[in-house]
Amino acid sequence: MKLHYYPGCTLKQKTTALDISTREAMRRLDIELVEPEGWTCCGAEYPLTEEKIVGLAAPIRTLRQVREEGGDVVVTTCSFCYSVLKRANKAIQDDPLKRKRVNAYLRDDIQIDPLTKERTTGFADYNGEVKVLHLLEYLRDTVGYPRIRERITRDFRGLPVAAYYGCRLLRPQKEMAFDEPDSPHIFEDFLEAVGCAAVDYPFKQECCGSYLSVSLPDAATEASYRVLRSAKMSGAKAITVTCPLCFYNLDHRQEVIKAAYLDFSGLPVLFFSQILAWALGVDKKLLGLGEHTVPADSVFSETPATEVRS
Amino acid sequence: MRVKLKAGRDKRKFIERIEELSGENVFACYQCGRCSAGCPMASEMDLLPNQIIRLVQMGLEEEVLRSKTLFLCASCFTCESRCPKGIDMARVMEAVRHILDPKGKDAFGPGEISPELAKELPQQVMVSIFRKFAK
Repeated sequence: MKLHYYPGCTLKQKTTALDISTREAMRRLDIELVEPEGWTCCGAEYPLTEEKIVGLAAPIRTLRQVREEGGDVVVTTCSFCYSVLKRANKAIQDDPLKRKRVNAYLRDDIQIDPLTKERTTGFADYNGEVKVLHLLEYLRDTVGYPRIRERITRDFRGLPVAAYYGCRLLRPQKEMAFDEPDSPHIFEDFLEAVGCAAVDYPFKQECCGSYLSVSLPDAATEASYRVLRSAKMSGAKAITVTCPLCFYNLDHRQEVIKAAYLDFSGLPVLFFSQILAWALGVDKKLLGLGEHTVPADSVFSETPATEVRS
Repeated sequence: MRVKLKAGRDKRKFIERIEELSGENVFACYQCGRCSAGCPMASEMDLLPNQIIRLVQMGLEEEVLRSKTLFLCASCFTCESRCPKGIDMARVMEAVRHILDPKGKDAFGPGEISPELAKELPQQVMVSIFRKFAK
């Protein structure tokens, strides 16, 4: 089965671990991920002022391409991409003025077929026909946890793992409608389904410092430390993320965090897709563990799954 | 000392512009302070989010525009999720950044990232910080 998948810029460059492990995991579930032809960066930030309409053009162009290719669903894994695509899609569905203005930009796009060199133009207006889903939602609602459990070949044996949501998946809740903003559980449910024990801790939806890690590294170090310490104090042996920027802040900053906060001794940071891929029997070489600063080998036990969980 | 509690007619333009850009009603705020209580960057700020919105209500444009707070907001929307009046404070912050002098210096521009750091950073962080803090 084919499924449209929007990887986003970071997954093709610095954080290939998330891309590769997602593809391998989905292949084990008989789903082939297809990228929309000619996709571009989504812009990373949803434009928050009423006048920055142009920021909607890139995500909507990608969504329109999914529709042109006959897709009615697109999945993403990066929290930033998910947030931008989903909010832009909702703006197009709900706001007639934005819909009109964005379509006026995009109507005259020219697309050149890479093989036939044929030029296409005069696209039909995009009115929000495509559904934007996070892979976690797709796994829960379309694939279903029972089907994932059937395919599990390695047993995490109830390894305590913390799910870290961060900011973009959950908020603003009216637009994202991903899960309850104060007590989300979709990520925990996923971890339980693949054989881990989800750790409950108070900082799971706090901010890791986001892009301030470039302009104000100390503030991001402190914010990331608070998240990591909270997870560790609650007994987690690893923390899982969906966002390459959360990964950067929590993983790549750990050397700095350890130097600044002597009570902290390190915690492996993983993508949810690496957990899924490993449980489904994907080779360790295909998890992209080379991109981690904090060694994560200890998390991946070789214990085979002896019985099919129900 | 006389304390002015209401914006004069001359300040209306600034307030209306913020409301127009953000799409938020800043006068809905009754200063409960939940936005500031939940803000992960509050400890770094010179003006707290609720103080920013109070200054906007009073039309004190200069005080708002020179605050460091504008460039400490990570748009994590914690304030938005906690506001009992449904104000999206991140949008108000963005509206204030939008009206800063377009010819002024970037709060954070591409020149401030060293080539070594650029090699290590994920692409999305560079895209997002320039979208937020550069002109």
